[in-house]
Amino acid sequence: MSIMNQNTIIKLENVFVNLKSNIETIEVLKGINLNILANKSICIMGHSGAGKSTLAMTIAGLENITKGKIFYKDQPIHDLKEDDLADYRAKNVGIIFQSFNLLPSMTALENVNLPLEISGNFIDDRQSIKLLESVGLENRINHYPHELSGGEQQRVAIARSLISSPEIIIADEPTGNLDKKNSEAVIKLIFELQKNHNSTLILVTHDKSIANFCDEIITLDNGLIL
Amino acid sequence: MSGFKNIIFRKNLFLKLSVMELRGSFNEFKIVITSIFIGVFIITGVGSLSKNLQYEIDNKRSELLGGTYEFSTTYQEFPKEIKNWLEQNGKVSQIVEMRTMLSSKKNSLNKRRIVELKAVDKNWPLIGNLKVETENSGLISTNINEKINEIFVDEGLKNQLNISVGDIVKLGKIEAEVKGIIKQEPDRIFSFANFGSRVLMSSQTLKNTGLVIPGSLVKYKIKFIPNNKKLELSFLNKLIEGTNVSIKNIKNSTNNFNTFIERTTLFISLVGLITLLISGVGISNGVKGYLIKKIKNIAIIKSLGAKNNQVFKIYLLQMFSVFLIGIIPAVILGISTPFLFSPLIGETLFSSFQAKVFFEPIFISCSYGFIVCLLFTIIPLSKTYEIKPIHLIRVSRDKIHNEHSNKIKIFIIFLICCLCFLTVNLTSDIKLAFYIFISLFISLTILTLFTNFFFIIFKKIRFKIGSLLETIRRSIVDRNMFSKSIVISFSIGLSLLVTLNIIQESLDKKIYDTINQEAPDYFFIDIQPSQIEEINKIAINSIGSNNFNAQPMLRGRITKLNNVNVEKLKVDKDVQWVLKRDRAFTWSNVKPQNNKLITGQWWEPDYKGPLLVSIGNKIAKGLNVKIGDKIEFNILGRNFEATIHNTREIVWESMGINFIFVLSDSIIKNAPHTLIATSKNKNKVTSSEFVEKVVSEFSNISSISIEESYKTIKSLLKLLIIIINTIAFVTLFSGVIVLSTILDVSKKDKLYEVAIFKILGSKPKKIILLWFYEYMTIGLLSSLISILIGCLVSFILLNYLFNVEFYLNYLTLVILLLILPIFITIFSLFKMLKLIYSKPLNVLRSHY
Repeated sequence: MSIMNQNTIIKLENVFVNLKSNIETIEVLKGINLNILANKSICIMGHSGAGKSTLAMTIAGLENITKGKIFYKDQPIHDLKEDDLADYRAKNVGIIFQSFNLLPSMTALENVNLPLEISGNFIDDRQSIKLLESVGLENRINHYPHELSGGEQQRVAIARSLISSPEIIIADEPTGNLDKKNSEAVIKLIFELQKNHNSTLILVTHDKSIANFCDEIITLDNGLIL
Repeated sequence: MSGFKNIIFRKNLFLKLSVMELRGSFNEFKIVITSIFIGVFIITGVGSLSKNLQYEIDNKRSELLGGTYEFSTTYQEFPKEIKNWLEQNGKVSQIVEMRTMLSSKKNSLNKRRIVELKAVDKNWPLIGNLKVETENSGLISTNINEKINEIFVDEGLKNQLNISVGDIVKLGKIEAEVKGIIKQEPDRIFSFANFGSRVLMSSQTLKNTGLVIPGSLVKYKIKFIPNNKKLELSFLNKLIEGTNVSIKNIKNSTNNFNTFIERTTLFISLVGLITLLISGVGISNGVKGYLIKKIKNIAIIKSLGAKNNQVFKIYLLQMFSVFLIGIIPAVILGISTPFLFSPLIGETLFSSFQAKVFFEPIFISCSYGFIVCLLFTIIPLSKTYEIKPIHLIRVSRDKIHNEHSNKIKIFIIFLICCLCFLTVNLTSDIKLAFYIFISLFISLTILTLFTNFFFIIFKKIRFKIGSLLETIRRSIVDRNMFSKSIVISFSIGLSLLVTLNIIQESLDKKIYDTINQEAPDYFFIDIQPSQIEEINKIAINSIGSNNFNAQPMLRGRITKLNNVNVEKLKVDKDVQWVLKRDRAFTWSNVKPQNNKLITGQWWEPDYKGPLLVSIGNKIAKGLNVKIGDKIEFNILGRNFEATIHNTREIVWESMGINFIFVLSDSIIKNAPHTLIATSKNKNKVTSSEFVEKVVSEFSNISSISIEESYKTIKSLLKLLIIIINTIAFVTLFSGVIVLSTILDVSKKDKLYEVAIFKILGSKPKKIILLWFYEYMTIGLLSSLISILIGCLVSFILLNYLFNVEFYLNYLTLVILLLILPIFITIFSLFKMLKLIYSKPLNVLRSHY
């Protein structure tokens, strides 16, 4: 029997994350319970150190949890091994980072192709070129990251996050490194593409004006949802 | 072509990603590629050259042996019945070989040299041609037998004595004319000269010299091609039974040249292997440095869903590409070596030489290359398993369980086994292969232990918070232990340099001390018993009788040990040489001065009983014989059985006269023999005057300068040390790569550190000073560890391998101690200096 509502794509039950430093162990998430609905956009807000990025990365399967449970469509992902988590990410999650995280040795097109190459689904460049065109980079296809502006790099990252048609897109402060003009363009693009691809968007930001674009907003404080 | 490329890339994700990742990164692998190149090139080059030479020897055995069979005997001419039989049953050529002094009448300096003399009859050579260069006719084939009192000499001798064709030289009683320079001597290789240059002459000329007198160390040879092609070796063995004649044929002939090739190949291959193994550390550092730069890329690829194995394969493939870039040119150049040398080989060794490509050296060098590369790459590569995608957000301190660690360990053990197998195959000596691996393993273990020990101390001690010492301590210990990588990387190269330096200094000192205190100045060989009294008189009048020491000597072969033929005996590999060829014997009823008895007693001074023998202790152990055992010698065609009466420790380092076998006084002393002698005098002029007088008065006597011989040994030793020093420098340079990479990686932290210091009011000068102390401490720590390891390893090697006293030159040691810290500090400060001028606010805004 399903433990989740039909529309729920991600469910977190009493999730704790502790991070160890040289001196002490810090409790970053202190018992998070959360249901994220499919095809919706949810914004995670909070001040610095509240645990926003940690929560997003926990859902992405990048951060190990100390206690609790996380389900993706009924499937527990909290006890998956590293390689299974990689599989989960490759098939279901697209991530957009604040600092773009493009591979500098690859062109825009190659960067977008990369998730398909990794999952073994790469056939040809057509799909990636189409995506790059949809983010307005048809003239930058063969450019390397260092030949692109910050806004352009982030658009390549967005195209890369969507190439595998993931059900979940996680955007961790996607406009953090961009100026106002580029920020607006990027946010507009993310929401437009999320709608076109019928994905679930988990957006981490501390910018209220961006948060307002989302279907749901949660605020974190000291590792807890307010 | 692009279609083919596409097919390969489409099919292979790893290859495609590897190529993408590696694009533009080859510069970072310069040292790694060079290290691989040198090692693989040496092994392929020397292996190919050796294979070609062996192949040529195998194919031209008859020509090189000078016949189907070679009969030889020492001291005495061939028994008549054997000689007659050979002359009646095939083609025969007679040769006489001996060692003597040749003096030039042209110069006053450097006018005398020891030469390998070869006198031939009219039938020589039975196979091939002698080619000489004469003054007027250029390169010609000639018949030596027609030339009376005319000789042909080596190019080497021509240069040493500065003589030219047409000059007159003195040989024994005659003055001979140098008629030409030997360009090709068909059977030269199988009578490979060890001591001096070749001088060729007719049998008649040799007779005229008067050098062949009873007891002279003369080798008589007969080259023989039988009429009956089906003649069996066993038949010939029966023919020579009971005589001191021995036979070589084209199948079983082992010769000095073969042995020389085998040993040189082994030695140079070992240098190549050790270069590769030491370079392995450089390879490991280079890969480590590369991966440090790629941490973010790995995290990105993993965040996109790549599995650990996929990432590992992507980077392994990249490393394979790097290996190939090092290995392929090395192999190509290596297999080209015989082709490059073929004109020289054809001219000097064989009548004609056509170089070939052999698969075995290629296989061996490629296997070595790949195994060593993999061995040293696999550990840093396995760290890719530990890089988590969360690195993109923050530095993770979580302990990562690498579920593949056991597989990697098994793979490493497998690689080591392959390496051992190959090395045993290369050296044909399990003991040697074992020593190589065990010493490398111990050295690396000691290095790791020392470094860990110092870092644990650094972690435990605490200084006053805020003090300069505490700030330095924290920056060394805390920053992801990068400093440890720097220390280990540099310490490997430096400890090798320190070890070599101490060994070189200690050996130099030993050689200097020996030459100045113990060793004689000159050796004299071929002294006739009738001449010794006269020479003693000359000695008393010049260097003093105590400084002249002579002993009788005869050469013979060991035929049986405890009644078992030596051919059937299995003895230690180290002492096989004792049984292989003629050995020198002496006799005396008094114990040799420098020798210490290990077992048994010396016989009575007036002993006249059955023949007794004293034997070197190490040789006795190797031959597995003890007091009371019987040894049978064949001297001058007669067999003598002696009982082992004692064993001695022979101090070879004294460079005095040393014999492995000393017999008791017996009838042997009545056999024709010669004496060997040494002379010594503090005054070099007196010493050389004495030598001059002896050799000019007695033309049959040859002298050898110990200092000259030492110079040759020293120059060989120096060459070896230069080679290993170069490897050590390459290894040290690989440390620079690691340092440079780590500095690049830690730039972001340093920038942040500068910003904070500046905001808190620190002046740039103070920050530079802080960094100066930090890098200086890392450098000093590396030096200290290197010197400790260097001293320890060299002490062990000097005491247990070289048997030489440990000697420390403090000045060199201080220089070595300071060079590294100064270099690390200057290099690091130079790289980091521009960070000092960064604007703190900009830095803090963009930090993370």
